[in-house]
Amino acid sequence: MSPVTRQRPGRVRELRRAAPFVLPFLLLFVVVYLVPTGYSVVQSFFAVKRSGLGLGGAETVFAGLGNYARVLQDGDFLASLGRVGFIGVIQVPVMLGIALLLALLLDSSVSRGRRFFRIAYFVPYGLPGVIAALVWSFLYAPTLSPIAGLFASIGVDVSFVTDGALPFSIANILTWAWTGYNTILIYAALQAIPEETMEAAALDGCSGWKAALLIKVPLIRPALLLTLVFSIIGTSQLYNEPVTMKSVAPNLPSTYTPIMAAVRSLSANDFNYAAAQSVVIGAVICVLSVLVFRASARSVT
Amino acid sequence: MLNRNARLTAAAAIAATGLALTGCAATTGESGSGPANITFWGWAAGYERSVALWNESHPGIQVKYEAIANGGAGGYDKMLTAAKAGTAPCLAQIGYETFSSFLAAGLLQDVTEHAEARRAEFPDWVWGNVGIDGKTFGVPVDTAPMGLFYRADLFKDAKIEVPKTWEEFRTAAAAVKAADPKSRIMNLPTDPYLYAGFAWQGDAPWFGVNGDSWTVTMDSAANSKVAGYWQGLFDEGLVTSHPAFDAALYTAWNSGEVWAEVGPVWSASLIRDNAAGSAGKWAVAPMPRWDSADSVGNSGGSATAVMKGCAHPEEATEFALWMSTDDTSVSNLIKSAAILPASKSGLASTALDTPESYYGGQPIYQLFRAESAKVNPNWRWGPVMSTTASALGDGLGKVPTGSATFQDALTSTQTGTVTALQAQGFSVSK
Repeated sequence: MSPVTRQRPGRVRELRRAAPFVLPFLLLFVVVYLVPTGYSVVQSFFAVKRSGLGLGGAETVFAGLGNYARVLQDGDFLASLGRVGFIGVIQVPVMLGIALLLALLLDSSVSRGRRFFRIAYFVPYGLPGVIAALVWSFLYAPTLSPIAGLFASIGVDVSFVTDGALPFSIANILTWAWTGYNTILIYAALQAIPEETMEAAALDGCSGWKAALLIKVPLIRPALLLTLVFSIIGTSQLYNEPVTMKSVAPNLPSTYTPIMAAVRSLSANDFNYAAAQSVVIGAVICVLSVLVFRASARSVT
Repeated sequence: MLNRNARLTAAAAIAATGLALTGCAATTGESGSGPANITFWGWAAGYERSVALWNESHPGIQVKYEAIANGGAGGYDKMLTAAKAGTAPCLAQIGYETFSSFLAAGLLQDVTEHAEARRAEFPDWVWGNVGIDGKTFGVPVDTAPMGLFYRADLFKDAKIEVPKTWEEFRTAAAAVKAADPKSRIMNLPTDPYLYAGFAWQGDAPWFGVNGDSWTVTMDSAANSKVAGYWQGLFDEGLVTSHPAFDAALYTAWNSGEVWAEVGPVWSASLIRDNAAGSAGKWAVAPMPRWDSADSVGNSGGSATAVMKGCAHPEEATEFALWMSTDDTSVSNLIKSAAILPASKSGLASTALDTPESYYGGQPIYQLFRAESAKVNPNWRWGPVMSTTASALGDGLGKVPTGSATFQDALTSTQTGTVTALQAQGFSVSK
């Protein structure tokens, strides 16, 4: 008997033992993730053919890459990708920078009221995204905003909803809502650093900010990477905030983000094109995540 | 063999006749085969009560009402996805602006044979909104002709005449600004469907049918005229430019910084509910006219559409006709949803004669009853309105910032709409 065949019964037994733990997840994963994704991919290769006024109903035909060709020529959709890319490039580093700073402060032995701040930072994340966006919309609305009112009283004209200000206004809501969440993730990783490591560092004369930056930060690299990938995925899926803000900022186009563009196609009964748009969004996110993981893996080794 | 086949056919024929007979008899509730069940999706207040009234008096046809989100707020998306999944309801509340889109998507059931006989009970222009090419796919429920809502107290104090034409409206706009530099006559209509009402009145159609293809005419000269009028008011600083349906506008109504609103009949409740502080000071006059053309625009109103796949289209149509014409149902809808009925019998309802205390005791629905007969009949909605409306909304949304004009919005929507129609396989002719 070869070693391989001898191993088999052992692995089967292992799998059988693991099954009750893994199956519920696998089942849900397949039903709510793989099946819809597969369905979208299949749909994206079809198109609906109508004739004349469309009253005769529609016929679904294979379209090959036709929908993808449309995506590449869709200026609105490409602009939405660019916009979200711009927001992400600005917002993600700022948010993670603040989160790291706050987490280091929480973790520092000299800080006080840690329990309070831990909860306080996390509270915005607990508020449903749409509610937060609504509240911010009121703070941004040109005629209602108390902030703009304050500036107006000292003679400065400020608007948060001009075309140029919108990406930053949205980035601000995202940062407000998600910094605490990332702080807690990073803080948890900091807590896992062994006490001895920091003691040894202190004995070697490395303490305070120096220890934090040179020892703690490199040790929590995996957690930082995780928050980075989460943030990239989250920003790519931007939807709630701009849709809610549209009521105070009519100049915000209905294809502001890729998901808004896909929803607009869906409302137009253009399911196959919406599927193609969704697949492109998914692919972009997937490629970005892989690139980030790869780049960081290389720099670690 | 032949004999047996013939017998089977005869048996099938008898069974079918029997079924058809029970179908007819079902309204009396005496048949043994159980009632016809019809599902109805809608969102307007009062529909549920009308359905309950029907179910009490019609045991043979039972309607199951399911409240869904307002069409524009996700209701239509739900219907579209349900139709794709094969789980669409039998009846659905669909606004006229979206009716053509559902029709062109092939989602509605032709019920001409069941509805044609009662067509005369509705004004022609309304009936034109629930079909195409002489075919009918649903029953109109309500309409939304437009009128001029204005602050009677402020107009009187400033001694400004209530404008009867758009020319007078411009003069009045300047007079309002002169009387109180902080005030304006109206807010710029940048909501695409509200703006559509002005194009509708101005005899500036957006869509048409030319044989077997659609025509798109949003860049027509007639449309440029209407667009130019509003652009002119904006450029001269005679209107405010708050976002449509925004708290800032409601505040301005309340405080008397915006003196009037040219809007559809449902603006009556919009103003009443959002500007409670100015109760009793508002009044309603007919919509200003373009020169001598005695026609008004319409912005809203919906129909009960019969969707494809409905197992009982005849019964469904019967219910829909009843809901729009029966006195108990129409009175209920007027009372709970403040609708202006589409049917002639509904329009005759005395429930519309009630004085409205918010409008200083004026029986405002009498005015809209008279105006509904003057709605311009030359209007047709397009086959992919959600795309047209979002493109127009995007364009009009830029007007207040000064980065685009009404004309720019129309031009870009024209292009976007034609592209979208062609991408979806419709034929478009110039």
